[in-house]
Amino acid sequence: MNIRKLAWKNLLRRKSRAVFTGLGIFLGIATFVAISSITSQMEGAVQDQLDRFGANIVVSPRAERLSLGFGDIALGGTEVAHSRLAIADKERIASIHHKDRIRSVVPFILAASDVSGKNLVWMGLPSTDLAIARPWWKITGSPVRERGEVLLGAEAAAMLDKGPGGTVTAGNRLYRVAGVLHPTGEKEDGMVIADIGDVQSLAKNPGAVTYFEVAALCKDCPVEDIVAQIGQALPGARVSAIRQVVESRKAAVDQLRRLGFGVSSIVLLIGGLMVLVTVMGGVQERTREIGVLRAVGFRTRSIFSLLFWETGWVSLLSSLLGAATGIAAAYLVAPSFGIEHPGIRMLPALLGTAAGLVLGLLGAVPPARRAAALSPTEAIRTL
Amino acid sequence: MEPIIHLNGVSMIYGGNGTRATALSGVSFDVRPGEYAVITGESGAGKSTLLAILGGLQIPSEGTVRIHGVDLSALPSDGLADFRRETIGFVFQAYHLLPYLTARENVMVPMSPERVSPGEKVERADSLLAAVGLDGKEDRLPSQLSGGESQRVAIARALVHDPPVLLADEPTGNLDSATGEQILDLFSGLNGRGKTVLMVTHNPANLARATRSIRLRDGRVEEDRILAPLAV
Repeated sequence: MNIRKLAWKNLLRRKSRAVFTGLGIFLGIATFVAISSITSQMEGAVQDQLDRFGANIVVSPRAERLSLGFGDIALGGTEVAHSRLAIADKERIASIHHKDRIRSVVPFILAASDVSGKNLVWMGLPSTDLAIARPWWKITGSPVRERGEVLLGAEAAAMLDKGPGGTVTAGNRLYRVAGVLHPTGEKEDGMVIADIGDVQSLAKNPGAVTYFEVAALCKDCPVEDIVAQIGQALPGARVSAIRQVVESRKAAVDQLRRLGFGVSSIVLLIGGLMVLVTVMGGVQERTREIGVLRAVGFRTRSIFSLLFWETGWVSLLSSLLGAATGIAAAYLVAPSFGIEHPGIRMLPALLGTAAGLVLGLLGAVPPARRAAALSPTEAIRTL
Repeated sequence: MEPIIHLNGVSMIYGGNGTRATALSGVSFDVRPGEYAVITGESGAGKSTLLAILGGLQIPSEGTVRIHGVDLSALPSDGLADFRRETIGFVFQAYHLLPYLTARENVMVPMSPERVSPGEKVERADSLLAAVGLDGKEDRLPSQLSGGESQRVAIARALVHDPPVLLADEPTGNLDSATGEQILDLFSGLNGRGKTVLMVTHNPANLARATRSIRLRDGRVEEDRILAPLAV
């Protein structure tokens, strides 16, 4: 017989109280492990989804703005490009060191041209890349699938009074209107969107590219590294990360993490309070027993030790059970949180078990102090 | 012979202003080693308070208590616990066995905090249980023992550290007369082997085995009588 065994025997005797004490820890740790495991997997999933949703790097020709004037008279200004971009540059972008992090490189060309008597801006991009470059576009009709087809922005369609199935002319050529964009609030609303080859022909500039949009997968690498590598591959180009996109992705993931941490903390706190209340109740119930132990020579440290072992056993078992339940729950519900390949995260389980043990022991401190301070005469008075 | 218990002017006052209750007032006496003293008195006379003070469970409001050469008022809480473990064996009226432990385990409880091998603990518990006549009942729970057997387990538990002083508070109070006699025989036997016994009781029949009688009334020693000469 030692204190550890004495504690274990007492737990077995008061099974329902032990279960109730452990319930708080169990629920707290199960929630903590499940939420931590899910949020940790969701961080990756959300980042992946965000990375798929549009570009985060723009590559354009390096240019300088020149102000024109005559004496005190300002005549406006113009941008003078140091170099031009071409379709062939796509290969150079796609061959950087972090090429496995590049999901797509889409070339764009912008050109102004007359369309059925109206002067509008044309946006050209490979028709096959339309769904990758602008996945959020909603179209009445169908997207551009081949050369000879155009997509009209909402304002451009209204201006030309054209809809899906209609035709427009530009550069002595007839184009079929495949579809009309729903209003986006962006410049595309006033544009005509076509295959890049058609717009290059209209601009009489085959192979020319105005800018590239690059979608980089930046979950584990800083976007700055990719920007620098593209800059090295294209020395005459200006490469810039769309900071807002990058920051908003980080913010979304951080919010998710904070939410998980907040919920877990609250549940763990409740678990700790449950331990405190039930162990305190147990001490109250066992006043006489503790008094007898004091009477037969138990020091305050031994009483402390007894209560810590009791709470330790309960906390350890309920934490282990809670961690296992949390892992199982996270695994089962992961698909409904958009996690395509759920995995088992051991770190939250280990942290959860340790946290449950510590929390249980902390919750036992006030009752243990109270028990150790009990006068042995409390027992004698019941004689 | 040096007294093993020395009380001088011991008073115990409970409560504060307006609610003061005097449980003991100026109690003084000495007990020599090997004495079998019976403390009697009406309810509220201060018997249990006196026993609590003698056992180091309570510190008196006034006066000095020296037991086995130790001044109890000078000991801190853990020092008193050590004193109780090494010097005093308690036997309670209601036995106060832990109901979830077997007879053997109950006897081993005072040894729980000690770094003694499990085998040695079991051996000591079993030999004590045999000494109080419970050979073969080591694995029974208190609920499977009679009142007399439970009290024997409690006596074995009190003896586990071989204390020189045994304090008993109405040890036969919950037992029928025949079983009570057997328990008193046990105490007599222990006293015969050199243990100093102080027993609180209401029952005048217990006086027959004692060497001394101390009667309390309203917290004071009303009578202190030698009943039999102390064997030297």
